[in-house]
Amino acid sequence: MATLNEKKTCSERMENFRRFVWNPETKLFMGRTLINWVWISLYYLAFYVVMSGLFALSIYSLMQTVNPYEPDYQDQLKSPGVTLRPDVYGDRGLQIYYNVSDNKTWEGLVTTLQTFLTAYTPAAQHLNINCTSDTYFIQDTFDGPNNTKLSCKFTSDMLQNCSGITDPTFGFPEGKPCFIIKMNRIIKFFPGNGTAPRVDCTYVVTNEAAFLLYAQGNEPRPLEVDYYPANGTFNLHYFPYYGKKSQPSYSNPLVAVKFLNITRNVELKIVCKIIGAGITFDNVHDPYEGKVEFKLKIED
Amino acid sequence: IQDDHKLSASELEEKYGTSVNKGLSSARAAEILARDGPNSLTPPKATPEIVKFLKQMVGGFSILLWIGAVFSWISFGIQFAQGAESPFDNLYLGVVLAVVVILTGIFAYYQEAKSTNIMASFSKMIPQQALVIRDAEKKELSADQLVVGDIVEIKGGDRIPADIRLIFTQGCKVDNSSLTGESEPQSRSCDFTHENPLETKNVAFYSTTCVEGTATGIVINTGDRTIIGRIASLASGVGHEKTPIAIEIEHFVYLVAGVAISIGVLFFIISVSMRYKILDSIIFLIGIIVANVPEGLLATVTVSLSLTAKRMAKKNCLVKNLEAVETLGSTSIICSDKTGTLTQNRMTVAHLWFDNQIYSADTSEDQTTQPFDQSSPSWTALSKIVTLCNRAEFRPGQENLPIMKRVVVGDASETALLKFAEVILGNVMNIREQNKKVAEIPFNSTNKFQLSIHETDDPNDKRFLLVMKGAPERILERCSTIMINGKEEPLDSEKAAAFQTAYMELGGMGERVLGFCHLYLPENEFPDTYPFDTDSMNFPTSNMCFVGLLSMIDPPRSTVPDAVSKCRSAGIKVIMVTGDHPITAKAIAKSVGIISATSETVEDIAKRLNIPVEQVNRREATAAVINGMELKDMSLQQLDEILCNHSEIVFARTSPQQKLIIVEGCQRQGAVVAVTGDGVNDSPALKKADIGIAMGIAGSDAAKNAADMVLLDDNFASIVTGVEEGRLIFDNLKKTIAYTLTKNIAELCPFLIYIITSIPMPIGTITILFIDLGTDIIPSVALAYEKAESDIMNRRPRNKMKDRLVNEQLAVYSYLQIGIIQSVGAFITYFTVYAEQGFLPSTLLGVRVNWENNAINDFEDSYGQEWTKYQRMYLQWTGYTAFFVSITIQQVADLIIRKTRRNSIFQQGLFRNKVIWVGIFSQIGIALILTYGLGHATALNFTPLRFQYWFVAVPFAILIWAYDEVRKLFIRRYPGSWWDKNMYY
Repeated sequence: MATLNEKKTCSERMENFRRFVWNPETKLFMGRTLINWVWISLYYLAFYVVMSGLFALSIYSLMQTVNPYEPDYQDQLKSPGVTLRPDVYGDRGLQIYYNVSDNKTWEGLVTTLQTFLTAYTPAAQHLNINCTSDTYFIQDTFDGPNNTKLSCKFTSDMLQNCSGITDPTFGFPEGKPCFIIKMNRIIKFFPGNGTAPRVDCTYVVTNEAAFLLYAQGNEPRPLEVDYYPANGTFNLHYFPYYGKKSQPSYSNPLVAVKFLNITRNVELKIVCKIIGAGITFDNVHDPYEGKVEFKLKIED
Repeated sequence: IQDDHKLSASELEEKYGTSVNKGLSSARAAEILARDGPNSLTPPKATPEIVKFLKQMVGGFSILLWIGAVFSWISFGIQFAQGAESPFDNLYLGVVLAVVVILTGIFAYYQEAKSTNIMASFSKMIPQQALVIRDAEKKELSADQLVVGDIVEIKGGDRIPADIRLIFTQGCKVDNSSLTGESEPQSRSCDFTHENPLETKNVAFYSTTCVEGTATGIVINTGDRTIIGRIASLASGVGHEKTPIAIEIEHFVYLVAGVAISIGVLFFIISVSMRYKILDSIIFLIGIIVANVPEGLLATVTVSLSLTAKRMAKKNCLVKNLEAVETLGSTSIICSDKTGTLTQNRMTVAHLWFDNQIYSADTSEDQTTQPFDQSSPSWTALSKIVTLCNRAEFRPGQENLPIMKRVVVGDASETALLKFAEVILGNVMNIREQNKKVAEIPFNSTNKFQLSIHETDDPNDKRFLLVMKGAPERILERCSTIMINGKEEPLDSEKAAAFQTAYMELGGMGERVLGFCHLYLPENEFPDTYPFDTDSMNFPTSNMCFVGLLSMIDPPRSTVPDAVSKCRSAGIKVIMVTGDHPITAKAIAKSVGIISATSETVEDIAKRLNIPVEQVNRREATAAVINGMELKDMSLQQLDEILCNHSEIVFARTSPQQKLIIVEGCQRQGAVVAVTGDGVNDSPALKKADIGIAMGIAGSDAAKNAADMVLLDDNFASIVTGVEEGRLIFDNLKKTIAYTLTKNIAELCPFLIYIITSIPMPIGTITILFIDLGTDIIPSVALAYEKAESDIMNRRPRNKMKDRLVNEQLAVYSYLQIGIIQSVGAFITYFTVYAEQGFLPSTLLGVRVNWENNAINDFEDSYGQEWTKYQRMYLQWTGYTAFFVSITIQQVADLIIRKTRRNSIFQQGLFRNKVIWVGIFSQIGIALILTYGLGHATALNFTPLRFQYWFVAVPFAILIWAYDEVRKLFIRRYPGSWWDKNMYY
């Protein structure tokens, strides 16, 4: 015991360590002879080669079993998420603040929308077909080129006043801004059960917001919204989605909303829900499922 | 050193201001009591409970976990200040880590306290009373109220209440065995007989017992100033060394902490240089620490040790200090006391000599008959003397007890003779009644004999029978005839020579020999009414008839020789250290096998070759008997030489300090030393030893206090059981640690891969804690129930320098082989879950930044579907659950392979250890509850997993088993090969 407990000085420890790294008497390098190191390294090399092989083999057979067109399970994507453009996130979710008289504050927002809509120019959509039917576009066969399925065209002009074509500033300087609502893609999801789902935007009336509205001497007014396309619907012919491999040129249908009576200098909380059978927006954990909430404040 | 023993009674009266007749006044006594304190030994200083508790809180891995917790809180503080989305995760993680540390600390503290409590019951003593003269009155006082100068009276059976200078004695004998280890009672008188206060006859010592007679004395020392008190403080001065298992666990903690810190720091640097944010890097660091630290392991080790302690308690080994459980297993030298441990601690008739022949008697603990030839008329005569010339009596009311267990009033030799007679002849008391005693001279040291005169039981024989026993040479002097086959024959020189030979032979066996003779007094000279007077001795005490010799010894316990030979085959050296005479010690050592039949001491060789001792080649002698006197003059080198060169050693006539020197000598050889003892004199050595073993029945409180373990049945053989359990637990702890370390790699790899390849986090920190402190706990305890793989009592004790608990092979095999297989298996499950939900492995690489971005709620998977942040998180938790389940499933295989280190599982038997199966079921049960029972409690990050994912890792579990079987097969096939050296842990 005595020898174990003896306090070693630092230099002794260093000496011991040096001796461990290379012991000239026994010719041990870190406790092993060199040839022993070679053997053990070879063994581990072989071991890891085999393990990597097993790993690769397992991943390969996994890839063989998965369906290339659609995932095996969709239980975690029961209801689509909803996103908003422009999307500026603050500390607590989407926050869109700007000043009408300071164009620096809204130019970024406008650019975001313009960039987003570049995927919806006629040129970008040229591979897609024009659809007129108001029912689900069910395709059991691969009718498109290169063994794909067809996708319906959605071009930005369908958003009319919010297309950025007539008003490249999307109404931001006037204080009547356009926002674009997009519903997430889910393979073989049939929203609305035969009726086209539509977007519905309202104030989220918190006490604070209501107080602010009254304080400014205003009667609380319902939010006035213009929806594009008309009624804010997603046409059924854009559904179902068949997946990236089947519909490589598919693009999500959009709905644009233009708020017409925004009170200035007040932070407003607005929620845009998608109303339709099969779309839920009451998941307490997920703020973006079936709806999108955001704060809007327009200053002057 | 005091010289009170040299002073006369009146000088003492003056010195202590007392009076022999009146004693102290109460007022004076109270003054002295206030000055000196109570007459009791100060109990050894105990560590305050709060210190013990705090030690548990910071010991082992706790520091690492505290660091993790503090980092968590720091990052919470930073995130909170920045107003990030979910800063509370880190707060909770910190709290969870702190709770884990505190809970495991409380648990360890509780376990420790529980085993200490068993012992606390031991030290409670019944308050002792003493008869004191104070204010000229006799008073019963509690012994702790005694002060210096008090006059106390003592009678047979009392414990001496303090160190006492005797001023009046009557036939007083004291048993000093608890002080010196001598089993024979020592007579006491008022005379100053020796310069050394320890040797002089006029001092009686605290805590020794008065065997017979009465005495009065002046208290000269009380409490800690008594001789016993000084020895006890010598014991508390001896520092306790760390136990071997504590050293091993420390080594293991350093190793794991070293790995954790170096990997943590390495990846901190990597992640910083990969331009992760510092805050993120700190969070990774926490994860790496948590993954690396086996949080539950130290608690598991404690439980395993206490399970073994419980098992040992059932076998009469009570363990005071949990870690001592293993110490016994690594013991390489046992220094055993003789009296009471190796021997039965009672005199027993061992040999008889009559009709010119030596007969052996049965000395076992539970004798009911004596097998030697009892047909000779000489035996009848001898038995009569043994029965009649004896003052010892059974306490009444013990008729139903076995003879050997009955309590006897009388000294040790007389007791032995009484029991011996009772066994052979039946009711001795009855025989004595039929042979009425008419006169008696008790034994005294001047006569060295004892005689009594009886009427005979033959109504026609009116003669008186005079019977006598005593020191053989004195008895023989008084005899003119000797009885051979019942006939009196003249005692010629030839017969006297035969007597001498027998006497020498019995004496040489270390036995105490008594001679017996008798004389029938002629009827005409000594009629019925003859007035025998023992003072004038008006009867003949010479020309008697010598009948025979009886010799007695404190015989070895019957289980000891077997136990000693088991220790031998287990590579443990047994050394006898006793205060007794060398001859007795050597005889007992020979009879129990401490000195084996064939080996010789230097003196034996000298005698055989008939050469002087100095000429003997000391290396030829395997055995050695060393006297305390020789030891005193030896240098440490000489002692080391003896301990090194002789395999069979007996130390006789040793003092407490010498015991300590011997133990230290053994420890200098690098041995793990166990010391057994019962007396106060043993306590310093018990304390100094790596493991001190005290006797539960005969042991003094001081010995029990100093010891780490108590043998409830005082049986040396129980030590062997303890050694076996200790070795088993060492092996099993290896298995437990190997089992626990393996999955740390499977917990660590996710972090490393996550940092390097930026895939979604495969396993959460909380999930890791659920493995370490949930599913893995019961299985790792279950390994403590594993039976030994081979006869562990046939191998040498482990070399504490080389055979580490956690050696390189164990760590490397667990970390770099089995751990890697487990990681691969778990990752396959992880990738399967993600792929079947839409994220193929190729998509996952490098997605971390976007995946974790709260602002991206339309994250695209491999099939073009879009996911919100919460949907991704939920999938990530499903990944955690899958990873968790895979580790659990593979840990089942790991548990099974860890059952053995060398043998095939099929040799060991899959079902022999039922507790393993309890472990497996609990493991899977806990995993099922976490996965399905708590499926919606998202705070714990578990989701209900599809059932088929439980089986993805099964092929890898089977691979683990198969690979380990191959490993063991090669180890068994090619012992000593490269494979054996590198793969056997």
